[in-house]
Amino acid sequence: MRSIRASSERLRAGARALSAALAVAVAGCSNELPAPIPAADPNGSIAYPSLPNRGGMLTTSSFGDIRTLDPANIGDGLVPQILQSMFAGLIDYDVKGRIVPDLADHWTVSEDGTSFRFVLREGVRFHDGEELTADDVKRSVERALHPSSPNPYASYLASISGFAPFAAGKAEHLDGVRVDGRYVVTFKLDAPDAAFLPLLAMPPLRPVCRSGGSRYVDTWHPCGAGPFKLLPGGWDRGRQITVVRHEGYFRLGLPYLDAVRTLFHVNFTSQRFKFTSGEQDILRDFLSPDLLKFQADPRWKPYGEYELDKQVAGLAMNTEMAPFDNIELRRAISSALDRQQLTLIRAANMRPANLPVPPDVEGYDATLKGQTFDLTAALEHMKRAGYAYDPVTRTGGYPTPIPYTTYSQGIDEFMVQVTMQQLARIGIRLDVRIVNYATFLALRGRRKQVAFGPAFWTQDYPEAGSFLEPLFHSRSINDEESNNSAFYSNPRVDELVDRARHELDAARRKKIYGEAQEIICDEAPWAFTHYYRFYAQWQPYVRGYKPHPMATTDPTRVWIDRVAGPVASRAVFSGDVYAKLFGDSPHGAPRRGPR
Amino acid sequence: MPRAVVPVPAAPPVIVNALRKNRSATVGVAIVGALLLFALLGPLLSSHDPYESDFVRGISPDKLPVGPSSTFWLGTDRLFRDELVRLAVGARLSLFIGIAATLIATAIGGAVGIIAGWFEGRLLDAALMRIVDIGLAFPFLLLVMALAAALDRTTPTTILLTLGLTGWLGTARIVRAKTMQLRNLDFVTASRALGQSTPGIMLRHVLPNVAGPLVVVATVSVAQMILAESVLSFLGGGIAPPSPTWGHMLFEGQDYFTAAPWISLAPGLAIMASVLGFNMLGEGLRDALDPRKQ
Repeated sequence: MRSIRASSERLRAGARALSAALAVAVAGCSNELPAPIPAADPNGSIAYPSLPNRGGMLTTSSFGDIRTLDPANIGDGLVPQILQSMFAGLIDYDVKGRIVPDLADHWTVSEDGTSFRFVLREGVRFHDGEELTADDVKRSVERALHPSSPNPYASYLASISGFAPFAAGKAEHLDGVRVDGRYVVTFKLDAPDAAFLPLLAMPPLRPVCRSGGSRYVDTWHPCGAGPFKLLPGGWDRGRQITVVRHEGYFRLGLPYLDAVRTLFHVNFTSQRFKFTSGEQDILRDFLSPDLLKFQADPRWKPYGEYELDKQVAGLAMNTEMAPFDNIELRRAISSALDRQQLTLIRAANMRPANLPVPPDVEGYDATLKGQTFDLTAALEHMKRAGYAYDPVTRTGGYPTPIPYTTYSQGIDEFMVQVTMQQLARIGIRLDVRIVNYATFLALRGRRKQVAFGPAFWTQDYPEAGSFLEPLFHSRSINDEESNNSAFYSNPRVDELVDRARHELDAARRKKIYGEAQEIICDEAPWAFTHYYRFYAQWQPYVRGYKPHPMATTDPTRVWIDRVAGPVASRAVFSGDVYAKLFGDSPHGAPRRGPR
Repeated sequence: MPRAVVPVPAAPPVIVNALRKNRSATVGVAIVGALLLFALLGPLLSSHDPYESDFVRGISPDKLPVGPSSTFWLGTDRLFRDELVRLAVGARLSLFIGIAATLIATAIGGAVGIIAGWFEGRLLDAALMRIVDIGLAFPFLLLVMALAAALDRTTPTTILLTLGLTGWLGTARIVRAKTMQLRNLDFVTASRALGQSTPGIMLRHVLPNVAGPLVVVATVSVAQMILAESVLSFLGGGIAPPSPTWGHMLFEGQDYFTAAPWISLAPGLAIMASVLGFNMLGEGLRDALDPRKQ
């Protein structure tokens, strides 16, 4: 009896311990966010109230990584953000998304829109101290567009005169880029091209130092004319990259920061805690509930901002494969998707999509109806497709589950589960096959491999053509690595997309793109689901920060206004390199006032 | 006729009595029984569909899953589905996979162990044991993950086959050792002298005598299989969604752990309870079947 009592006592004690452990675990998951770290002086610096501080290091992190650091080879999504701080272009985008002069002092365009004459600023210095001239511009453009360069942007610039023979390796030089003086360079196009200036403002054609040579080599040490430069040892592959101030930057007094550091392979949870503890200054990679919390917290709200919508996502239906060679079935799926519900899965980042061009991109037309949720219409399309479905008796519909290929551990693994619920209402079942991401990308771009699956696209340049041409033009169909993953072909759409690109009048161009989008939405090679936009959150001591419309983070005008203190993450940066870059100046204690 | 000097398996009532006296076994039986009951009757506890999101009642005003309430006893998951009913359907899947995979592993391991033990020292024994050695050289979970990754499509059948076909190695080793003890005992020699065939002796005399350890190993193995399936599902190599396996439910909840901890806690505790239950039951069975403790 005693032993039974003793054992039940022990059991009760165990249960109490377990309850206490659970309570601690749940309490540990507190919903409260820590307070932001305030700026040392909310109105400016102490010594010079209206002037920024000089010095300090800005730290950001990413879940991803970079493999290259060359404008002629932008392979990863994170690369343009880092290139933006290292390579200046002839022109650039300002924070409002307008094209403005950068290395160019000014430019003129011929009346027919085929000739662009750029006059460069004088006295601009590369990171190696050499002066930038028109020869460097021509050499850098030829280096980037040469067939030996793995430049994914090259085909977009086919309108430059002489591109075809140069890209085929039949010409030594690109005739369409002409040096008209030490500081004057002229671009000649075969035909007007509305995308030329937006493309020129992006990183691929930005001038590189003479050490970069006239042909691409992957062993070159990155060197440009941007506000920050990379010192030897500054890029610890797979871990972090630190770029330091280019003292010879052509904009006097800029940049304010001593250095910008980007950490790689940092998971979302670690980033959140690094950020709130002040080890990381800007946060973009959020877990969905964390982002909702930051946005709802009035202490953090003033220091957060959405970046532009640059990504469209949907479900690609391979028009060359059954059952999606049946246009009515595609229309049924497009009408059956309740996009409002789908975007609740990640409400803070997703917005329902009805068109292929996101709202913040030139060419978006809010007056277009696009694809909308209409269950009655979806059932009617099923009937026309030959697969009538009765939702009351749940009879009919497509007879077998349709194979759906997606990738593991991504957002679509969740979205497809809601998609299945929605398509079940019109009698369509899915047979979900999950593969790893690399396999998914390979299969999706291969002809007649994937009938149905997720698709997404991020702009290469901020214009509707950046979406419509690669995704829906028949020119983008390839047997392997096809960007047009629906293998959709419509001569009328091809003609409209080509015509729009040559149309220089913005209003007329928008109308042409609109017509193309209406056809695409009706014929539904994709069922568009959502636009994805990032949100940037920064600490109050990060001053002058504004998300860059194209490059995400432009640290040129950012300064740190923080009370000096130790920074734990300094250990990531090796002692030797740190001493070389900063001498004995402690990190976290920027010097006050301008130099 | 020589008499077998071998521990004879205890009769069922004796085992039941021994189990009753063993506290660990009692708790194990209670947990496993409760889990089986939950798997069978759990879906009836909720009127919600395990595969259907409730975008009206299952979502909070700040667009997060709702916590435990009278409508959703265990709250909703990140797709706003009832956590309780998914946990119950997940119990069916996890227990089915765990038990079926164990049956396969036990059958293969038992057969290989008896054959290898019987032909100890011969080429067949050496060949079988080298296969076992090679298999055991790979960490079990790593091996299972590699096989699951190589599969074109993962279904409950492919997962349980993967687990069953890779999980027999340890069982074979134990059964071989036991068979080696048995084959030289008098009653086996007598059966051989009476002209009984080798397969007959294996089935009639060896198998019943290794059954005790086999049952113990199998019971503990169920826990390992459930854990392995959960790990596979957590890492994305398990059954494709929307099937609610516990491991995948745990994976689905990890991003929401600070905001909606119930999504992870429910399957996490279920995995813990099942592993604990089967392990305690296995330990109890081991003690109950051990003649030295009777």
